[in-house]
Amino acid sequence: MIGLLLTGVFIVLMVIGIPIAFVIGIVSLIGFMNIPYIPEALVPVKMLNGLDSFVLLAVPLFILAANLMNSGQISQKLIDFALSIVGHIRGGLAHANILVSMLFAGVSGAAQADTAGVGKILIPNMKKQGYDTETAVGITAASSTIGVIIPPSIPMIIFAGLTNVSVGALFLVGIIPGVLVGVAMMILVYILAVKREYPTYQRASLKNFMKKFLDTIPALMTPIILIGGIVAGIFTATEAAAFASIYTVIVGMFYYKTLKLKDFPKILVDTLTLSSLSLFALAAASALGELMSYYQLSSWVEQFFANNIDSKWIFLLIIIAFFLFVGAFMDAIPAMILFIPVILPVANSFGVSPTLLGIITIMTLAIGLVTPPYGLCLLLAAKIGKLPIERSFSAVIPYIAIVFVVLLVVAFIPGIAMYVPELISPDLF
Amino acid sequence: GCGDRVTGGSGEDGKIKIIAAHNQTSPENPYQYGMKEFKRVAEEKSNGNIEVEVHAGTLGTSESELVQKLKLGGADVVLVSPGFMSKTGIKEIDLFAMPYVFESYDHWEKVVDGKVGDKVAKMINKKSDNDFKLLGYWSAGVRHYYGKKPLHSIEDIEGMKLRTQTSGAIADYWEATGAVPTAVAWGELYQALQQGVVDASENSYPYFVQQNHHKTENGKYITETAHDYTTRFLLINGNKFDSYTEEQQDVIMEAAQAAVEKERKVVKKQEEEYKQKAIEDGAEVNQIDRQPFIELAKPIQNQRAKEINTMDLLKQIRELK
Amino acid sequence: MFIKLLERIQLTIGVLFLLVFFVTIIIQVTTRYMGISAIWTGEVATYSFIWSVFMGASVMLNRREHFKFDLLLNKLKGKSKKSLYLINDLILLVFTFALFYFGIVVVESFWNFTWTSLPQMKMGYVWISIPIMGGTMVIYTLNHLIQNIKNFSGEEAVK
Ligand code: NA
Ligand code: NA
Repeated sequence: MIGLLLTGVFIVLMVIGIPIAFVIGIVSLIGFMNIPYIPEALVPVKMLNGLDSFVLLAVPLFILAANLMNSGQISQKLIDFALSIVGHIRGGLAHANILVSMLFAGVSGAAQADTAGVGKILIPNMKKQGYDTETAVGITAASSTIGVIIPPSIPMIIFAGLTNVSVGALFLVGIIPGVLVGVAMMILVYILAVKREYPTYQRASLKNFMKKFLDTIPALMTPIILIGGIVAGIFTATEAAAFASIYTVIVGMFYYKTLKLKDFPKILVDTLTLSSLSLFALAAASALGELMSYYQLSSWVEQFFANNIDSKWIFLLIIIAFFLFVGAFMDAIPAMILFIPVILPVANSFGVSPTLLGIITIMTLAIGLVTPPYGLCLLLAAKIGKLPIERSFSAVIPYIAIVFVVLLVVAFIPGIAMYVPELISPDLF
Repeated sequence: GCGDRVTGGSGEDGKIKIIAAHNQTSPENPYQYGMKEFKRVAEEKSNGNIEVEVHAGTLGTSESELVQKLKLGGADVVLVSPGFMSKTGIKEIDLFAMPYVFESYDHWEKVVDGKVGDKVAKMINKKSDNDFKLLGYWSAGVRHYYGKKPLHSIEDIEGMKLRTQTSGAIADYWEATGAVPTAVAWGELYQALQQGVVDASENSYPYFVQQNHHKTENGKYITETAHDYTTRFLLINGNKFDSYTEEQQDVIMEAAQAAVEKERKVVKKQEEEYKQKAIEDGAEVNQIDRQPFIELAKPIQNQRAKEINTMDLLKQIRELK
Repeated sequence: MFIKLLERIQLTIGVLFLLVFFVTIIIQVTTRYMGISAIWTGEVATYSFIWSVFMGASVMLNRREHFKFDLLLNKLKGKSKKSLYLINDLILLVFTFALFYFGIVVVESFWNFTWTSLPQMKMGYVWISIPIMGGTMVIYTLNHLIQNIKNFSGEEAVK
C-alpha cells in the first residue's frame, strides 16, 4: 500500500515540475512519517551520511577537470585532432564528433561536460556545413554517452563504492565496450552519410596531421596517466581526479597558454554549482534508500527472484529493462544508490560478477542520458541546437539502438568486456 | 513486504519491535551470529511479545551512523567499537582501544565481566544521559599485523604505511613504533593493499580473511602481534528500554546474555578457522617477541589515561593480569 | 538586494570549501609519498566537501537550476503557469522548512560528538551545514513565492 502511495506521490510531484532531487527527498520524508517511532530527522541525517564518503570527492574533481579542459580550449584541440584523422571521410564532422567524444571520455568522468563543451563548438559547425539540426543534435547527444563508459567515469566510481569492487578493475572493463559503441556509431554514420550525401572535410596533409598530433599529445596523455596511475596503484580514483585537474591546469596554462588565471573564479563556481546538483540528488537518494532498508525491500526482491526466475540471462534482461525505465526519469547516481544495494545480492546468487553487473548497469544508465523525459545530455544538446525535445529524441534513436546492441553483446558475451582487464591485470579478477 | 508497518516501540497491545543493527554485511560475521541469537532468545522467551528485526549492514556500514541512529531513535540495539563511543563524548572509553591494554582473552574477560566492566557500563549510561545502555561486551577478535613483509622485530615496522583506526591514541601508538598510520576506508582496503597504496594493515583473522586481504601482495605476511583484544559494546537506547515492561526488560537482558556467549564463542572458533584458511591460501604466519611492543605501549597508555581521567581504571585493569 | 547578497556569500563559502578540500587531497597524496602521516586529511577533505555541496545546492535552488521535468510547466501559459509555480513553491517551502527544522534537531543531538582524527573538533561544525542549507532554501523559496504573488497579474511568471 505505502509503496503504491509513495510511487504515486513521486510521479505527481515530478510531473508538476518539482526538481527531481527534491521529489526524492519529499517522498522519503513522507515515507519516514509513515513509520511510527522512526524519527523524520533521519532524512537530513542520511543525506549528510550519504555524502560522507571519500570516494565521492572524485565527482567534483572530475567535473573540475572537464571544465578546465573546456575553458582551456583543450576540447578545441581534441576536435582539431579528430578532424585531421576522420575529417576526410564522408560525414567527416559527424565522425569527428564521435571520435572526439571518445577522446574526451578518456579524461572526463561525466557525459554532460562533453555534450556542453563539444556541442557548443560542433553543433553550430555541423549546421553551417549543411547537416540538418536533427543529425547534429542526435550525434552530439548520443556520442557523449561514451563519456561514462570509457574510463574515467563518475558512475563507475559510485558503483565501485557501493559494491566494494575495485575502481581500477571497473575502469578497465569499460574500455572495450566504450570503443565498440564509438566504432559502431561511426559505421552507422558512414552508411547514413553515403545515403544522404553528407559533406566531407578537407583531408589534412601528413604534415598538418603530424602537427595536430604533436599539438594534442599533452591532452592525449591525460587518460593514459590517469588510468595507468589508478591501475598501477600510484593513486586512488579520488587522487587521480585531483591529479587530472592539476595536470590540465599545467597543460592549459603553461603549454597551450589558453588558460588564464582570471578564468579560475568562473571555473570554480561552475564546478561547484554543477557538481552540487548531482550530489544533492545523491544525498536525497541516500535518504530514500534508507527508507527502503527499513521496509526491507532487498529481501523482498531477493525472494521474488529466488521464487520466480531461474535463468541468469532473464535476470540480466530484467535488470537492463529496469534500468532503462529508471534511467529515463532519474540520474545514474541516485538510481544506483537506490537500487544497486537491492540488486547486488541477487546478482551474486545468479553468479553474475559485480564487475559485469557494473558495466551493464552503467551502459544502461548511459542510455538514460539521452532518453526523455529526463535525459540530461539530450536536454543539453537540444538546448544548444535549439531543437524541441521530441525531435531531438527521434534523431537520437538510431544511435541509442547501437548502444543497446553493444550492451546486449557485452552482457551476453562477458569475455569481450573482460578481455582488456584480464590481459592487463589478471590478478584483479 | 512493502505494506508492512515498521514499529520500533511498544504498541497498543504491549507488543514491541526492536530494530537491531550492526555494520557488517557478511552473513558469516560473528556479529550476525550474536544478533541472531539475541533475536531467537528474545522472541522465544517473550512468547511473541517481542519482535526483533536484525539489520546486517543495511542500516549503515559505518558505526558512526549506527550510533547516530541509536541516539535519534532509528535503531534500538546496535554494536559499537570504542573509537566511536569516545566520539560521542565518552572519552574514557578510549582506554579499551589502546594497544596492549589486554594481554589475553582471559585477561580481557576478567576485566569486562568484572568490576571494571560494571563501572564502565554505568559510566556509559550516565555520560550519555541514558541514551545508551550497555547490554553486553562483545569481541571482534584479537588484532594482528599483516603486510608486505613479516615482522621479526619492532624495528621492521619502521616507515611502513599502516592502515589503522584513525582515533588519536591508536594513531599515536603506531607512530611511536615508526610506522606511518594511514587512513583508508575498510571497503577500499582490499584495493589499497593490492595496489600498494598502503604497505600493511592490522585486524583479526575473521575480519581480514573474509575480505581476502591475505591474498593481496601487501597483506600476505601475518605477524601475530596481538596488540588489541578488541571490545565491542552491545548497546540499547536506555530511554526506550525504560519504557518497556519489567518482563520485557528481563527477557531482553537474558537474550543479551545469550548473545554475548554466542558471539564470543563464534569469534574464537572463527579465529582458528580463518587462520587455517589464510595458511591454506598461501599466507605466512609468524610469531614475534611482543615485549618491546608492550613496553612501548605503557607510557602512551599512561599519558592517554591521564588525559581522559581514567588512571584508576587503567590500574585496575593492569592488576587483573 | 538581500537575496543577491545572501547568494553571493553562500556561493563564496561553497567555493572556499571546495578549495580547502582540493588542497587537502593534494596534501594527502604528497604526504603519503613522503612517508609522513597526515591522517586528518580524510576527514577535513570529506567534511569540506559536504559543506560545499550543501551550499551549492541551496544556491541552485535560488536559481531554479535543479534538474526538473518541465514539460507541463512549459505547456502552461499566464495565470495557470503562475499558479503551478505557486503550488510548487509551497511544496518546496514545506520540505525545505522540514530540512531546516530537523536539521536543528540533528545539530542539537550531535553537536558535541567529535571528529575521529581531530578530537578537538566538534561534529556540530559539520552537521550545522544542514540547517544552514535548509534555512537559506526557505528564504530563497519565500522570495520566489512573494515575487510571484506580486507579479501574479503581470505578464510572465517569475522564474
Ligand atoms: Na570517461
Ligand atoms: Na560528441
